[in-house]
Amino acid sequence: MISTLLAISLAGSVLAWPLSKLLGRWAGWGLAALPAGLFAGFIGLDTTIEAGGRIAERWAWIPSLGVGLSLRLDGFAFLFCLLVTGIGALVVVYAGAYLAERSPRDRARFFTLILLFMTSMLGAVLADDLIVLFLFWEATSILSFLLIGFDAESASARRSALMSLRVTAGGGLALLAAIILIGAQLGTYSMTEAIAHAVELSESPWIQVILLGLFLGAFTKSAQFPFHFWLPNAMQAPTPASAYLHSATMVKLGVYLLARFEPVIGEVPGARDVLIAVALATMITGAFQALRAENFKSVLAYSTVASLGILMMLVGLDGPMAGVATVGFILAHALYKATLFFCAGIVLHATGLSKLRLMGGLRRFLPATAVAAALASLSMAGLPPFLGFISKEFLFEAQIQSSWDAVPVAVAVLVNAVIVGVAGVVTLRPFFMGSGRVRDVKHREVPGLLAGPLVLALLGLVISLDSDWISRSVLRPAVAAIYGRPVEVEVGLWHGITPILGLSLVVVGVGALIFTFWVPIHRRLSKQSTWHRFDVEHGYDVLLRRLDTFAANTARRVQHGDLRGYIWVALAAALGFVIWGIAASGSVPRLSAGAGEFRLGPAIIASIGLAGGLAATRARSLLATMISVGLSGLVCALIFMMNGAPDLALTQFAIESLVVVLLTVMLFIVPLGAPSTRTSRERTSDAFLSAAFAVVMLIVVLDMTASPQSPQVSAFFGAESYVGAFGRNVVNVILVDFRGFDTLGETSVIALAGVIAWSLLGPRNALESRKGIQSGRAAFILSFMSPMFFWLLMVLSFVILLRGHNEIGGGFVGGLTAALAFSIVSLARGVERARARLKVHPLTLASGGLLLAIASGMPGLLVNGDFLSHLWIDTEILGMNFKQGTALLFDLGVYTAVLGTVLAFLFGLRREAAR
Amino acid sequence: MTILYAMVAAGLFGCGLYMVLSRNLVRLLLGLSLLTTAVNLILFQTGRMRSDQPPLIPEGATSLSESADPVPQALILTAIVIGFALTVIMATLALRAYRDHRTLKSDEINSAHELGRPAAEHDER
Repeated sequence: MISTLLAISLAGSVLAWPLSKLLGRWAGWGLAALPAGLFAGFIGLDTTIEAGGRIAERWAWIPSLGVGLSLRLDGFAFLFCLLVTGIGALVVVYAGAYLAERSPRDRARFFTLILLFMTSMLGAVLADDLIVLFLFWEATSILSFLLIGFDAESASARRSALMSLRVTAGGGLALLAAIILIGAQLGTYSMTEAIAHAVELSESPWIQVILLGLFLGAFTKSAQFPFHFWLPNAMQAPTPASAYLHSATMVKLGVYLLARFEPVIGEVPGARDVLIAVALATMITGAFQALRAENFKSVLAYSTVASLGILMMLVGLDGPMAGVATVGFILAHALYKATLFFCAGIVLHATGLSKLRLMGGLRRFLPATAVAAALASLSMAGLPPFLGFISKEFLFEAQIQSSWDAVPVAVAVLVNAVIVGVAGVVTLRPFFMGSGRVRDVKHREVPGLLAGPLVLALLGLVISLDSDWISRSVLRPAVAAIYGRPVEVEVGLWHGITPILGLSLVVVGVGALIFTFWVPIHRRLSKQSTWHRFDVEHGYDVLLRRLDTFAANTARRVQHGDLRGYIWVALAAALGFVIWGIAASGSVPRLSAGAGEFRLGPAIIASIGLAGGLAATRARSLLATMISVGLSGLVCALIFMMNGAPDLALTQFAIESLVVVLLTVMLFIVPLGAPSTRTSRERTSDAFLSAAFAVVMLIVVLDMTASPQSPQVSAFFGAESYVGAFGRNVVNVILVDFRGFDTLGETSVIALAGVIAWSLLGPRNALESRKGIQSGRAAFILSFMSPMFFWLLMVLSFVILLRGHNEIGGGFVGGLTAALAFSIVSLARGVERARARLKVHPLTLASGGLLLAIASGMPGLLVNGDFLSHLWIDTEILGMNFKQGTALLFDLGVYTAVLGTVLAFLFGLRREAAR
Repeated sequence: MTILYAMVAAGLFGCGLYMVLSRNLVRLLLGLSLLTTAVNLILFQTGRMRSDQPPLIPEGATSLSESADPVPQALILTAIVIGFALTVIMATLALRAYRDHRTLKSDEINSAHELGRPAAEHDER
């Protein structure tokens, strides 16, 4: 049943948007049917609640985490549900009239938000699973944020909205931590279980942290000192939202939570003291600021803070009367404070004034509002026969019954006196005194605006006069739910002459004095600027500003925009990790036997290579740098050559030549002189880092070569290369056959590089594409000889490709050689001539090569079911036996892709140079 | 010979790093090219340089006898080509950066960096 009500509430909130547009100006009355219907639905459950029963429903949700969608309705939740839906209905009606002039879109947005809030609030008080409670709890924070920032164009509304979100959602995180700890301690997230195991929970080593989390969550939500400052700022919200969220319902969630956990709090020594101390500080702050505040809504907001402090104090007190007083005060406060907010909204709406001292004599224009405000104020002042009187009697009775000393009583008397004064000020001054201060109002009262305040104000009177149903079905079960066993609740106006009555008289007397001397007290306090410095809100602003500065400074230091700095840090970290790894392994670096062997030839070549590297670091011209780097590359090729790797040597030679051809084009454009870009200090640190890294690498390489090598892989390839793949060049067989898939990946990288080159360097428009690339004429001898070189290199490249499987060569080297052939033509006779020779687009070559390589794997896939397992046929040409297979097609694909990519770079760079 | 070749590889590695730390983009990319060479040499030494015979199966034989290790060679062969493509792409980017900013200094080319600057600083500018 309760889950159905919750589901209806959610569905109705979602439908509110289209319905609001459909109903137009009747949207308020129409949509109020949802909360009113829910209210009736909950009332229908009163017999179960009255009998002391509770309704529990549960669905599995995340069983692996022990989280279930479990709901329960007991007396305390019942009280909240009635408040939320009942006041909700009145708020929706009121909002319909209050927002009458706003755009349909704004109205639809407001109704959706306020009804979604109602749903979350119902969910929060119905949830028995603490995780579910947390989700609904946070949902109310977010909806409160959206409602405070409803007028998003206003900077102050945005600031207030963010402030409330930061404070309440921050507290929400603390609450989540507490919930998770409770779950870890007890193995369940059920609130009922947690409270049933209060003693066990209080003996947990984490209980202090758990309580801290619960307190932070509750204090931020219920605007307790020092987190109270968000609530007065929340008055930026449209008045119906203020009345609903920020006085009647949401701000009481913190009280609700701690009232639920009261058995746990009571078990922990000192916890009650903390609670009561915070509550007293909140009461004093709220009362004090209420005396200073100038705006109608601010005065109400600060008195709400004081009232929330009173509620929190009641939660902290022990004894059965504390529970009675809590429940009574929640009800009474919700009724009269929502009414006063409604009245404040009507005044604001009708006059456009927000400052109390500018108002006066409004009784003439807004008579019904004046009546409602007067009734609510009498209840707030705690005068008989209103509900407020009864709840105040409960309050003092609870204080006297509890084991606490006189301090809370004294504070409560004082704060209540201020509340009496506020009650007088917010009613008598704007409505009944100072007539003539307001000459006219923008509009008179309308039924939509009056329904809420009148109904609530009258309820505050009716309930206390005929309290039978309410005390039987609502108050008594609610107290039983939080106190743990039934407590006799006697709602009566006359208890005889008791000390409590005396306290009430003192409160009213002092309150009357405060009201009489309101103007001087108010002027005196609001002029004192020293108070401002101790304002928590000021601290909040300073904290935010410091946080921003800190973040900006950190970003500036970490993200400084100097590439060298980033690389330096990355290298230093990498070096640190390598050293740490070596140190952690605990092994001493080894040296292989015969490592120091020395032959003159290789030693000279190696020295040239090192000299090239060192020269590159010293050279101040980019051309010289390029040549020095090239020198090291050539030495590397020689080392390959001398150590049984002619394939590598050939590739490296081809690469070095192409690098010269391609980079020279770039060096034509950029300035060749490269003065140092580093300060001498930076150079020193860079040299130190590079040298350190080089030394570590030396140790690593020496140790690696000294470690025994596992021969299986090489032996396998050596044994299988000819038998399995019909190739004598083991390197090439590995590339095209055994590890063909890897090579395919690398080929696609190469082809992609061509695409990148063309997208960066290719023609930028059709005109450029037609015009071609201008280039100067080269030396006669070169241009005369170039066709011969071209054909020589092309034939060579094909030979390299074709015999690659058995002799030195292969697709990569072949493609690079062919690219060299084209670069000679482009150097000698211009790029256009080279392009004419090529006939096809370089990217067509690159992509075609890649496709060919992929296609060469297909026969194997179809015949053997293995992609890239090559097939072979024997052919007899001129009496010679040729074994040909799809491996050659694969190598041809690699050849074409490499050629296309290099040419894309060549043509593109030349085009860029010609621009 | 191990020490000799290890020293060449490590030495070129250090020189490459030193150039990579330069603020001149072309020096940076040439340094990267040098670094590629050094890394290829290091990779080559995982094969222990045990023989100067290329890994070719002789005519008449069906399996490889005493020769250099073919596995690192296969790895390095593609690494050389990929390293070449990387160098040329870097050159392309450096060239385009120079065309747009008229400088090769990496700390003066910061149009991408501007995008990530904190909003407050944006306003000041």
